[in-house]
Amino acid sequence: MFKKILIANRGEIAIRIMRACRELGIKTVAVYSDADKNTLHVQYADEAVHIGAAAPKESYLNADVLIRAALSSQVDAVHPGYGFLSENASFAAAVDSAKLTFIGPSAGSIRAMGDKEESKIRMKEAGVPTVPGAEGLESFPDFEKAAKEIGYPVLVKASAGGGGKGMRIVWDADELPEEIDAARREALNAFGDDRLLVEKYIPTAHHIEFQVFGDKHGHLVHLFERECSVQRRHQKIIEETPSPLLTPELRARMGEAAIKAAQAVNYYNAGTVEFIFDPDHSSPALSGDEGFYFLEMNTRLQVEHPVTEHVTGIDLVQWQIRIAAGDHFPYQQDELSQRGHAIECRIYAEDPANGFLPSTGKLLQYIEPRGPGIRVDSGFRADDTVTHFYDPMLAKLIVHAENRKAATQKMQAALRDFIVHGVTTNIDFLQDVLAHPDFENGKVSTRWVETNFNWAPPSEPSFEALIAASLADFSVPSSKSQASSMNGVDPYSPWKTPSGFRN
Amino acid sequence: MKIIFDTTTIDLTPTGKSYRVDMDDKTAEVEILRADTEYGKLDLLIDGERVTAYVSSDNAKRWVTLNGRTFVLTKQSGSRKSGAKSDHSGELTAPMPGQVRAVNISEGDAVTKGQTLMVLEAMKMEIRIQAPTDGVVKLLAVKQGQTVEREQVLITVE
Repeated sequence: MFKKILIANRGEIAIRIMRACRELGIKTVAVYSDADKNTLHVQYADEAVHIGAAAPKESYLNADVLIRAALSSQVDAVHPGYGFLSENASFAAAVDSAKLTFIGPSAGSIRAMGDKEESKIRMKEAGVPTVPGAEGLESFPDFEKAAKEIGYPVLVKASAGGGGKGMRIVWDADELPEEIDAARREALNAFGDDRLLVEKYIPTAHHIEFQVFGDKHGHLVHLFERECSVQRRHQKIIEETPSPLLTPELRARMGEAAIKAAQAVNYYNAGTVEFIFDPDHSSPALSGDEGFYFLEMNTRLQVEHPVTEHVTGIDLVQWQIRIAAGDHFPYQQDELSQRGHAIECRIYAEDPANGFLPSTGKLLQYIEPRGPGIRVDSGFRADDTVTHFYDPMLAKLIVHAENRKAATQKMQAALRDFIVHGVTTNIDFLQDVLAHPDFENGKVSTRWVETNFNWAPPSEPSFEALIAASLADFSVPSSKSQASSMNGVDPYSPWKTPSGFRN
Repeated sequence: MKIIFDTTTIDLTPTGKSYRVDMDDKTAEVEILRADTEYGKLDLLIDGERVTAYVSSDNAKRWVTLNGRTFVLTKQSGSRKSGAKSDHSGELTAPMPGQVRAVNISEGDAVTKGQTLMVLEAMKMEIRIQAPTDGVVKLLAVKQGQTVEREQVLITVE
């Protein structure tokens, strides 16, 4: 087993990984930029190495500096977390070249799945259902012909793409030339590669992904699905497992397809196979088309991994580390099962009433909910500052209960107890999604937030809120007041007990 | 006492143990059961109903969470001194709005840590403003009987 691991990441995921290391008796090394000197992930680690300026390019995305930090702190392995360099094949290869272990799949697997065109061709060869479409197109007449065959609407997307860049929805043939040009330009700018593929666009699609897990000895299983259809701006905000849409038969067949997909690229460690699921066209009895199609594979740990941990009882991060060290994954597919229901809400510092734009500032108050079946993975505390340099996710709130209804209720209660002041959050928005009949009925598709959910924040504060605000001025002293803060330990301080009131 | 948040005026009247709150055509009887200053948590009894609220303040802004809903209010205030920030060490500011009841020092006085320099009264509550360190009173910014706003500078000790 490893003795010391460098975590090439920040925030909640760095802390999550350090927790697993502690449990396994492994020392941890944090890295930090100028903006992160006093953050929790730095304080949680056994050692910390400064890696550069606040801008990610100069710190968390700088592979050379990270490798140097790993070598100078004499670690055995590097965990990339998610985001940043986690799906960068060159970084994985550089870690290998430095004679360190990369905690993740091989550089070859990352590379094979990183290219949308190549991965789609491989998946077809492996017999994994893919979205109807065409690859390897060059001339405009080729695209025109392919789009016509597939049938509009179609999706034009960059082969090297990700994060919605170089991706265009085309509703009819007239728009095609313009959208192809635009997608090519975006792709060239973002990825230096203007290859495009075209495929059927499914407006009512759900996003259902399967967790896969493999060791370095050829044993590969799946750990069931996560339903991640509640999204805004192509980013997930609520994830859950099991999916309310899958039958046991469909779940088994999608799980088999996920394993096939991973095997096709000789996958090991934790990975996620994402599928588009079209509940309106799932008719295995009629056409053999089950309505699920390979979308892409994420060759890393996912943000939403905790829901899988809760229903399977398996600590994914611990096993990532063990597998990287050469251990065998001890469970066979038929030994794994889903117990109860887990939901995750991502708490973002963002304003849902203003296009979900990030909200930055100092956290005047930050109180996390607690209780049985409630887990909070976070990297912030009161008085910390949310900066514009990094992802505005404050925390992940995860609940686990016996069934979907109980889990939803637990989440609603936990969200009520999550207090964040100083930055605008999506907590109210999440509450309203959870309370919506479409969520209850599993009718939320990936475009639901944009097209079906006309959310508006409550316009007027309640009478009770105004009462509390006015009385607070008299009962809660200003935190900025020197007199009050310096008198904090004063036994005669009037605001410790109501006896300060004169009769 | 009148407090204005955005465009709404709230009128607070102390009534022995509790307060009467008037807002437009609404009225409520409110008792403060507990005030936890660390978390800005208030347990209130509003017309006999238990309500828990969390309140934070940032200059004129108030963040209020009640029943899981968060509101941001802006307190309107004419008497507030601009630039009355307490980032300066040695500046003692009013922890809450009120009236100066007693001034125990003059400018130039030497004071010792913990000495009560001034007494404020707010909503029938007495607040002692004490010297945070040994030092000399550099500035006395208010007079007895004067009404002060929350976070207004009272005294500078250096």
